[in-house]
Amino acid sequence: MADFLSQYSIQRWLEMCPQGYLEDTVNGHDPGLSEPEEILGNEEIREASIALTVQLIAGERAALAASSGLVNAAPDYASKTFLATQTLDEARHVEIFTQRLMDLGVKKEDVNSTVADYTNPNLVKFAEVLLEKVSNGDFIAGVVGQNIVLEGMAFTVFELLQTTSKELNPKFAQTLAGTIADERRHVGFGENRIGSLIAQHPERKAEIERMQGEMAYHMLATFSDIFTGGASTMTRERDRLAAQGQSIGDAGWHGTDLSTATPADMEAVLADTVLSEFKTRLGRIGLEYQTPKVPA
Amino acid sequence: MNGPVDAAIDEVPPSSFQPESADGDEPPRQRFELEDTGFKEVPKRWRKFYRIWQGEGDSLGPNEVICPVCKVVIRSHREFRPGDRVYCMPCMSRMVVVRRPDGSLEAEVTY
Repeated sequence: MADFLSQYSIQRWLEMCPQGYLEDTVNGHDPGLSEPEEILGNEEIREASIALTVQLIAGERAALAASSGLVNAAPDYASKTFLATQTLDEARHVEIFTQRLMDLGVKKEDVNSTVADYTNPNLVKFAEVLLEKVSNGDFIAGVVGQNIVLEGMAFTVFELLQTTSKELNPKFAQTLAGTIADERRHVGFGENRIGSLIAQHPERKAEIERMQGEMAYHMLATFSDIFTGGASTMTRERDRLAAQGQSIGDAGWHGTDLSTATPADMEAVLADTVLSEFKTRLGRIGLEYQTPKVPA
Repeated sequence: MNGPVDAAIDEVPPSSFQPESADGDEPPRQRFELEDTGFKEVPKRWRKFYRIWQGEGDSLGPNEVICPVCKVVIRSHREFRPGDRVYCMPCMSRMVVVRRPDGSLEAEVTY
């Protein structure tokens, strides 16, 4: 295990991230890129983009609070070092998505009120389950909740958003590409660090599995609210693109063509993909996936 | 981009190991030249050993496996065989190559 932990260093993070895929970027994308006029000039789409971006900010603020809180709970310095780099990653995510909010026309002084107004209440509950574990200094539950459940969800959501953005919004797609690269490290740490700790603490399994079930329930409720609430806007935007002979391009994703999928189809493939990933990841580290209740 | 070559190429990422058969009863491994595909998530020296999985329509060569943790394609100069140890630098996971019942190869994470 000592050898495994030795790979977590600030130097490694510097070489991979700031000196790697973030080199020469500004706010996570190539300099000079901007939000497309199709978003900025269409009030309904602009507001939908603001609402979506707020969910990303809320999720990343929770991740920032969790990863920074877990630094003190970590039982070894290699884990503290990794979580320190993850803390900076999460702070960067908060910053670049907040910048996107301002690029979409939200004034700096209105950012916090906009985040408060648009954040989905089920996403808040999702975060509260995790942050309670972190506040209690529970390293194992905190890392499972943060690096496997939250980051696993973010990884898949970002992939879906990148697929739907790469043709029509390269700025947002590039921003997402950098966050996906960060998430690779975060889920890798979650699986690798907890895989060995769970084997040493099997008595913790039941409680951690309950937490996963609870977080998954709030996640599904969030997806349901977002896709149901945004269904008419998504459908109108797809019809508008089709009328102009445009589409989101080659958008096959986990067996679904996102360029023609209904909002209900998109919600279904997203939920199925995230839950399937949870099940696989948890199984690999010796935890039994808990099927969440279906939100009413 | 990813074709067989005759020359022996021995460079591998850290924590990776592809042993030759001890009794010599297996044919030599196919060798492949690797080109940088634009993957920027690891230091330059190691970029050719990884690429982004392109999703539907993409396929793996005999010298490629997918990291089950982060979904990046891990590549080698030599074809993979069961028992090979591979390292996914983007997510820092260590794996062993195994053969699935359908005959295909996959990587299993070792903790």
